[in-house]
Amino acid sequence: MLRAAMVDPQLARPQRGLWGDAARRLRRNRPAMVGLFCIVLFAAAAILAPLIAPYDPYAMNGSSLDAPSLTHLFGTDLLGRDLFSRVLYGAQISLFVGVGAVVIALVIGGALGAIAGGFGGRVDGVIMRTTDVFLSIPSILLAIGIVTALGRGMPQLTLAIAVSYAPTFARLLRGSLLALREADYVVAARTIGASRLRILVRHMLPNALTPLIVQATLVLATAIIDIAGLGFLGLGPVDPRTPEWGTMLVDARRFMQSAPHIVVFIGGAIVISAIGFNLLGDGLRESLDPKLKR
Amino acid sequence: MSDQHLLEVRDLVVRFRTHDGAVHAVNGVSFDLAAGETLGVAGESGCGKSVTNLAIVGLLPKPAGRVEGGSVKLDGRELTTLKEEELRQVRGSEIAMIFQDPMTSLNPVLRIEEQLIETIQAHREVTKEAARTRAIELLTAVGVANPESRLRSYPHEFSGGMRQRVMIAMALALEPRVLIADEPTTALDVTIQAQVLDLLRRLTEERGTATILVTHDLGVLAGMADRVNVMYAGAVIESGTTDDLFAKPRHPYTVGLLRSIPRLDGETGGKLVPIEGRPPDLVDAPVGCSFYARCAWRTDRCATETPALLAQS
Repeated sequence: MLRAAMVDPQLARPQRGLWGDAARRLRRNRPAMVGLFCIVLFAAAAILAPLIAPYDPYAMNGSSLDAPSLTHLFGTDLLGRDLFSRVLYGAQISLFVGVGAVVIALVIGGALGAIAGGFGGRVDGVIMRTTDVFLSIPSILLAIGIVTALGRGMPQLTLAIAVSYAPTFARLLRGSLLALREADYVVAARTIGASRLRILVRHMLPNALTPLIVQATLVLATAIIDIAGLGFLGLGPVDPRTPEWGTMLVDARRFMQSAPHIVVFIGGAIVISAIGFNLLGDGLRESLDPKLKR
Repeated sequence: MSDQHLLEVRDLVVRFRTHDGAVHAVNGVSFDLAAGETLGVAGESGCGKSVTNLAIVGLLPKPAGRVEGGSVKLDGRELTTLKEEELRQVRGSEIAMIFQDPMTSLNPVLRIEEQLIETIQAHREVTKEAARTRAIELLTAVGVANPESRLRSYPHEFSGGMRQRVMIAMALALEPRVLIADEPTTALDVTIQAQVLDLLRRLTEERGTATILVTHDLGVLAGMADRVNVMYAGAVIESGTTDDLFAKPRHPYTVGLLRSIPRLDGETGGKLVPIEGRPPDLVDAPVGCSFYARCAWRTDRCATETPALLAQS
């Protein structure tokens, strides 16, 4: 190290933080970059929908079931509404509900996992058995149950998906924390007299974060599919006109033969957004894991 | 050496509850440590060296490990019965530890700066700036070049020897009275080992820190320790000043240890003599002398009782 300081600074290894290192590795990962491209496309569609949508997604602007053309890029649906505009606004719903659900799930699951893994003992037992109960119910079934109990609507849908994924996060974080409890630097931190809470927050949580980030990205992919799935089952938005992808698919399904473009465009949108998060999640896993370095 | 003992360990007994039964990890260890003294602890893996140290600072892995008897007194204050919060105040500021592996003992996601400052602020009401100044002093003291810029580095940007220096800086940050160094140089290569040991000796001498130095390298002990405890099967089987112990070892295990290391001044071509066999399983309480199975000088009596060590004539 002494010598490294004396050589030509051009030759010295550039100083990068943990995140800089990860970002560099991520950039070299082609599938992850494809995934990121899909996500940017999806997010841009969602955020810029009011600006770029050529028509009002609720208004009838053409004849029924028009094929794609220059006036209607994706064609029109049964009621003559512009499909392109509806898909854009649909992205908005999927993005907001999906991100909202994952954030809520992260907060609930993260807190529970941190308490369980950080303190152990009886609290750990109670929290883990509770998550076991939730994990034993398929997440889509659990979400259906919650929406049915709370009534339909976007906030309920968000909460339902959040609750069904929170146990996964709790489990994951607890597992990482348990492994970290025995880590040398955690024992070292205890020998310098750091408090339990401080060790948990400063030393353990940051080191347990990366699997959580990866999982959150992957869950976002499934959440988008779940939203569409619940919409398809009729548990989506209250207003049937809402351009939610799953709800739109229900109508489109009937014209799969005569107007297949509707199903293709909506399905394509769902696939692209879900695959985007999946690819990025896998890429993040590889680039954030120091053991896979190089 | 004064009569006033800084650290007094008496009849310390540590047991681990496992599925196979209780592991008798430490069986009645007693020793004293005076201010400024360096006590070497030698013995092979699994003989209770590290467990003794963890028991002193109350960091036995819970809930399996427990102190089941004996006492640990720091300046006359009993440590084994202290509450967790009180013990926390002792750790770091009065008793500090250095571990074997500097590669894993620093948190990989925190800068050196944050870890050093954390140590200082855990026990002292000082501003971040004051703690930072102190951190720079410490890094300078342990021989880290460009301490100001190195503070901003992450552990992975340091070599093993440099990391161990940082660990020493952290351990000495609060001028503890007792420093427990658990195989501080085992993971380092020989030249770095010598540098780190020199540094450790210089810093502890300057500060009058009492040191417990655990190692299985008898050469290191010969150079560093004032007194040596030889541990076997969870007990101190022989204890004495370094000179006496190396010149006139009494316990057959100590003799065996000394014979199993190469010497520069021995006759050329002489073979090293290993100690045959393995240490006893500590799951069942040993009956008789714990060294019985491996001892060349055993008698029938040794199977039922432990012979006392007698002064050599």
